[in-house]
Amino acid sequence: MTAASNVEPVSWDPYNPVYFKNPYPVFRRLREEAPLYYNAEHGFYAVSRYADCERAMRDKDSFSSARGAILEIIKANIQLPEAVFIFQDPPIHTAYRNMITRAMSPKRMNALEAQVRAFCAQCLDPLVGQDRFDFIADLGAKMPTRVISMLLGIPEEDQEAVRQSGDDRLRTEAGKPMEVSLEVNFEGNAYSEYIDWRMTHPSDDMMTELLQTEFKDPSGTIRKLTKDEILNLVNLIAGAGNETTNRLIGWTGKELAEHPDQRRDIIQNPALIPQTIEELLRYQTPGPAIGRTLTGDVELYDTKIPEGSIMMVLVGAGNRDERRFPDGDSFNIHREQRPHLGFGHGIHVCVGAVLARLEGRIALEETLKRFPEWHVDYDHAELAQTSTVRGWETLPVFVGSAPKKGAAKPVAVAPAPKPVEKVPDAPFEGTWKLTVKGPTGAENTVLVIENKNGAWSGTQTGQGTTSPLTDITVDNNKVSWINHITKPIKVKVHFSGEISGNNMTGKVKVGFIGSFSFTAVKQ
Amino acid sequence: MPKVRFILHNGKEHTVTGDVGDSAMQTAVDNAVPGIIGDCGGNCSCATCHGYIDADWLDKLSPISEDEAAILEGAMHVESNSRLTCQVKLSEELDGIVIRLPISQV
Repeated sequence: MTAASNVEPVSWDPYNPVYFKNPYPVFRRLREEAPLYYNAEHGFYAVSRYADCERAMRDKDSFSSARGAILEIIKANIQLPEAVFIFQDPPIHTAYRNMITRAMSPKRMNALEAQVRAFCAQCLDPLVGQDRFDFIADLGAKMPTRVISMLLGIPEEDQEAVRQSGDDRLRTEAGKPMEVSLEVNFEGNAYSEYIDWRMTHPSDDMMTELLQTEFKDPSGTIRKLTKDEILNLVNLIAGAGNETTNRLIGWTGKELAEHPDQRRDIIQNPALIPQTIEELLRYQTPGPAIGRTLTGDVELYDTKIPEGSIMMVLVGAGNRDERRFPDGDSFNIHREQRPHLGFGHGIHVCVGAVLARLEGRIALEETLKRFPEWHVDYDHAELAQTSTVRGWETLPVFVGSAPKKGAAKPVAVAPAPKPVEKVPDAPFEGTWKLTVKGPTGAENTVLVIENKNGAWSGTQTGQGTTSPLTDITVDNNKVSWINHITKPIKVKVHFSGEISGNNMTGKVKVGFIGSFSFTAVKQ
Repeated sequence: MPKVRFILHNGKEHTVTGDVGDSAMQTAVDNAVPGIIGDCGGNCSCATCHGYIDADWLDKLSPISEDEAAILEGAMHVESNSRLTCQVKLSEELDGIVIRLPISQV
């Protein structure tokens, strides 16, 4: 339709499920017809062109985060704790942010690669051989939670509960805003007992670091964080680390199913994976709308926007602006690489961006190694209902070259639990740091062992590669397994060990090369 | 107007012109030089504008601040001539500065 006269003026309601499902046609209209948009019903302005979004994100003095960056939170008008730094302006923001920036530096995050890969393998290996799986339930909801929990030091048995509580906080009823409360959203009391425990049991995790590090607080005093501040920070990091990367992984599954030619290009040339992740973040931005509050009057497109107004910065719209990205509404991993706003921009740019990129890249690498082809089962796929983060709640896919018509019921694939007389006590199950005293010195590997209904499976990661284990046997405290390694040479490695509490010692026979001893410590 | 010569990790070169007072990062981003991201917008907090300053220019730059040092300490592929290009402010004295870019910013 080109005749504007009989077209309704463009309207964007963040709670309208239609726009939520596919906001892009309305984002395009906003960019072209209402680059400064005002929604009277919900009381906010919005910008949608790349340059305007970038300017608003960069102009921290005029566009404040001190009342929050989510529409419902800004409107709730609650006093946010200082340590919830993402919803603060300088200098409060700076004091806490600097500390977290350092704790999540590129060097530290990239050092987690082997563990991220092992977690991915642990999620994906059990699915090999099935004719379907779910990008969210089987990977997106699991791996990022395990990574962020490992970083923070949250015990494995509590990780799922932590992720679920984070997700639940963001859930909304269809068509309704999110409910906001200080206690539920920000205080993070769920972590209280871990923090108490870590005070007396220091480790090398981030919780310990937060307990020990001194920082210059917003008033300029050098001191340690209070327990409340640590709770706020841990709560923030755990929530941010789970939900958003989960959405990125969902979009990876969806877009690469829709664009099989590009998926094949990646399989041919895995070096394309980093730019694929950037294109996914641009094309399907998990956090498409970021809120700010005006600290004074701002003039934009000949309109005076009064002090105190709420400005929604539609980075999901800016990321498709043709002025910046030619043919912005098409997914093209080969496009000219330019910075996008997928992680936001300016002083509040995502502090976990390095980790998210790492997780996204490895999740895709490990998925493609096992599943070169898949198709989305749209009959059973569902978008998550949140007004803050946009992505899939469940994304079941058919494995292989063509959708299998008869197999469309997700329940049909859940394997019936095997009748097992007794699931053995599983001191072997878990993650082990295993060191082989090899001919060229100590070799560190990460061993991840799982037991599902009595069936053992596992992976071992060393020298940057992860391989699935075979022939796992467990006889009380005596265990053995075979690892078929491919680097530095292709060889069968036979481990046999004895477990005593959290320690394991044993022998490893490396093909024709010889036998060596190993030790392992449970993590 | 000072010129900046960016040399990408793959050897490709981009020579761009910026205004006095602008940062080298901003000049790169404004001119779509690949290999510099500048996620934090020049606030010395993200390490995505990392570059290696050629020896002839290193001493002409302002000293590394405490904040920049902390970011560089946590960045990847850091060398003795590493700087965050958002902290390199262009001046006539820096006309012709050569900045090489790392293999990756992330």
